[in-house]
Formats: sequence, structure tokens, C-alpha cells
Amino acid sequence: MPEPRDKNGEPSALRTAGLLLAIPTLLIVSPIVGYFVGSLADRWLGWAPWGGIAGLVLGFAAGGRETYLIYRRYQAEEERRARR
Amino acid sequence: MKTFLARVRRATIVLAAVAAIAGATYASLPSGLAVAAGAAWSLVNLLLLETLVRAATTPGTEPASVARRAGWALGGMALLLAAGAWLLFHTPALWLVAGFSLPFAVMVLKAVSHALLESRAWRALVRSPWRATAVVAALILAAWWLAPSGSRGERAAGDTAGAPAASGDVAGGHETPAAEGAAEGHTEGAAATGEAAEAKEESGTQKFPNVITLIVNANRGAPWAHTLHFWEPVVFALAVGLLVCGAGFFASRNPRMIPGGFQNGAEALVEALYNFVGGILGPTHGRRFFPLLASLFLYIFAMNLFGLLPLMDSPTSNLNVTFALGFTVFVYVQYVGIRSLGIVGYVDHMLGNPRTVTGWILAPLMLPIHVLGELAKPISLSCRLFGNIFGEDMLLVGFASLGISMLSFTHLPVGVPLHAIFYPLALLTSTLQAFVFTVLTTIYILLMLPHESHGHEGEAQHAH
Repeated sequence: MPEPRDKNGEPSALRTAGLLLAIPTLLIVSPIVGYFVGSLADRWLGWAPWGGIAGLVLGFAAGGRETYLIYRRYQAEEERRARR
Repeated sequence: MKTFLARVRRATIVLAAVAAIAGATYASLPSGLAVAAGAAWSLVNLLLLETLVRAATTPGTEPASVARRAGWALGGMALLLAAGAWLLFHTPALWLVAGFSLPFAVMVLKAVSHALLESRAWRALVRSPWRATAVVAALILAAWWLAPSGSRGERAAGDTAGAPAASGDVAGGHETPAAEGAAEGHTEGAAATGEAAEAKEESGTQKFPNVITLIVNANRGAPWAHTLHFWEPVVFALAVGLLVCGAGFFASRNPRMIPGGFQNGAEALVEALYNFVGGILGPTHGRRFFPLLASLFLYIFAMNLFGLLPLMDSPTSNLNVTFALGFTVFVYVQYVGIRSLGIVGYVDHMLGNPRTVTGWILAPLMLPIHVLGELAKPISLSCRLFGNIFGEDMLLVGFASLGISMLSFTHLPVGVPLHAIFYPLALLTSTLQAFVFTVLTTIYILLMLPHESHGHEGEAQHAH
């Protein structure tokens, strides 16, 4: 197969757009998933309501962390592009 | 005359197909089949009559040829009469007669329209576009004015006679106050509650009828019908998978240096996808992950579009299917992570790459955070795809039911195809959602791959 048409190995605008596209849903879904996982723990272990609360907090943290990592990657690619 | 009959045949075939689908959908499968059979019977009869008349009236034809053709036509008519008698006893007679009358109705309408188009009044009407527009607007206003009054009358009658056949089934729709009252009223026992819940489920928001719901409705009570209904999204998903595989097979079966239409289209699509994946992941990774990502895009795209075909349904408007897709992506991304980083590297990645004492202290906190982050990905993928495609289907159903209620005063299973104007939007969202799913899957794979572009040479390769 031929090489994909990538401009000198630079990350495409689509890659940047895709990276940024992942942020909103991760920010929304992570706390929801955290809350449900915490609620399951509440049901199994009888920790109510602390499991749900802890899950929610961890979900927010997970969303924030993913966003931070995506942004860091995006920034690194921008720096790399600027250096070229 | 020959052209006129050919036009009548074409119009009748289209009309009969629509009427058969409407009959099968809103009445029963045998009713739809009876309409189709009646129309086919009538068309064949007309064809035989045409042959007979042509054989007898064409000047300069050999007498032997005339006799042979007339014999064929008369023999065919005898067979046709026998078939008609059989149909009359084995199919709903009213629907059969309706189908039988279709070509004649088409002929009459064509003759009337021909006379109307030639008339002075019509010429005067269409001479000015403003006048014609005003008449069309007046007709639409009259339809709007009549539609609510028809619905009111129908609803008043429906309280005693049940839900209106046309709008209720098609639209499927929206729960009526009577149904809600019935559901609330049945609270006396567990069995009664179950029945009410079942009734409510039946009258709840439904999608367009598809080929499986038609088969199931025609065979209510059969255990296999219940199983078929239960596995409906899976059946459609498999059908789409087979279609995509078949299309791939036919596109690559006989590859040519100068490709033809289908091969050309398939190659252009694959090349565009290859460049797209390569543009995000880079040449090396792009080639490695291209088969999965391109298959995902084509499969989801085909599934999204499948619901726009008559009597079909989008498997992606079912959360189970989209969750299965999201779960597949999740498992694959974790597999890519383990393959690329190794087991130790993967665990290290999940712990947040601890390198200092503080990092190790925070590791037990980072593990659930990272696990939640990974779990959020398939759920966001599946919910987004499901929500968009289901919403698109409901939009089409909503406007189709509105179109039907506009003509409910006619008491016929027909309506204004209002939902047709949303088809371009549905095409756009179908493409866009397949694209978004693929882009995000690509990004999740990218985030799991070792990241070597920071330029920190001393740092070990790690994923995000």
C-alpha cells in the first residue's frame, strides 16, 4: 500500500480536530460513569451515599485528567509544528 | 395509444407497490399482498387484451400469426381467470378488488388530467405563476383547516372504537390519554399491571414499521415470531454486515487497471479513508490500524443509512448495537495498549506513570481515575451514536405522522410525505456520526500508543 498523503509526517488538522473533539464528551460522560460505578459499589457494599459521591468526584477528576492529557498532546504537537 | 398504455402500466406498478406497502403496514400482510396480486392480475389482463386487439387489428399480418397470437392471448386469459378465482377465495376480496381497479383508476385519472391540462381554465390558471401559487396555497390552507377537524372527529369516535388505524399505527405513536388512563387504571394486581405495561409498550413511541415487524405482526403468537422480534436489531446488523461484505467482494472480485464504476467508487472511498486514518495516526500506525477503522466507518455508515430505506431499520438506533460497537473499540484499545506498552508498561500507564514518591502515593487514586476515563470512552461513543440515529429516526417518524394526520379526514392510509424534507438532514447526520465514531476511535488508539514526539530524549516512551 502507498504511504498515506500526510504532509511530511506532520499531524494533520483532522488529528488536532479529533483530539479536541474527544474533550467535551469525556468531560460529560466521565462523572456520569463515575457516579454509576460508585452507586454500584454502594449497592454491593452498603456504603450509600459515599460510593456515589466518591465516584462522581473521581469521574470529574478522570474527565479533567483526560482533558489535560489531550490538551498537553495538542500543545506538544503545536510546538513541534512551530519548530519545523 | 401504445405510449399511453405503457405510461399506465408504469404508473400502476408504482402505485400498486405503494398501496401494497401501505396495506401491509396499516392493515395486514395478506391485504398488502392482495392489492399487489389484484394489480398484477389486472395488468396482465390488460397486456393480454392489448395483444389480442393488436393481433386482430394490425394490417398486413399473416392469418396464421394472428391465430397463434390470439390463441396465446385467449389461453392466457383462461389461465388468468382461474388464477383470479383462486385469489378471490384465498385473499381479502376487498383489497384484491382495490388492486384490480388500480389500472383503471390510473387510466381514468390520466384521461381526466389530460382533459384538464388541455382545458382553457387550466391554461388560464398556470399562465401566471402568482395565480397558480395562490391556488396551491389555498389548497394547502384548506387541507390544514380540514385536517384538525378530521382528527377531532376521529378521536371522538376512537374513544369507543379504539385508536385510529392509520395515524395510531404508523405514527406509532404518541401515547393517547386513553392509553395512559388505561395504564393508570390497571393497578389492581400484578397480572393486570403487566398487561397494562404491555399495552403501554405497544402504544408507546414506535419507529417506522420494518420487514421484521410486518412478519411478526402477521404471525402474532408464534414463538419464532417473538424470537425474531427480540433479535431484530441483530438481524438487521448482520444483514448490513453481509451487504458491506458483499459490496467489498463485488468491488474487488475482478480488479482492473482502469477501474469501472463500482471498483472506481470503492477505490476512491478506500483511498480517502486511508489518507484520513494516515493523516491522524501517521503513515506507520495508519497502515496498521486502517483495516479496523475503515471497516468501522463503512459498517456504521451502512447501518445508519439502512434505516432510510423503506421497510428497513437502522441497527444503530438500538443502544445494544452501539454499545457492542463501543465495547469492541474499548477492548481493542486496551489490547493495543498492552501490545504496545507491554503488561508492565500498561499497568504503569494505568497508575499514572509514577516515578517519584508523590507519584506512588497518588497511584491508588490515579488507578480508578484512569479506569473511569477509559470506561467513559465506549459509553460516550455508544450513547452519542445511538442518540443521534434514534433522534433522527424519531424526527422522521414525527413528521411522517404529522403528514398522515394532515390527510386523516380522508380516512385513507395515506399522508403528505412531510418527512421527505428531512432525508437530506438524515443523510448528513448518518455520515457525520459514522465519521465522528471513527475519528474518536482513531484518537483513542492514538492516545494509547507510545508517545514519542515530545522531544524529551531522556524520558521513557509512554502513553497518555
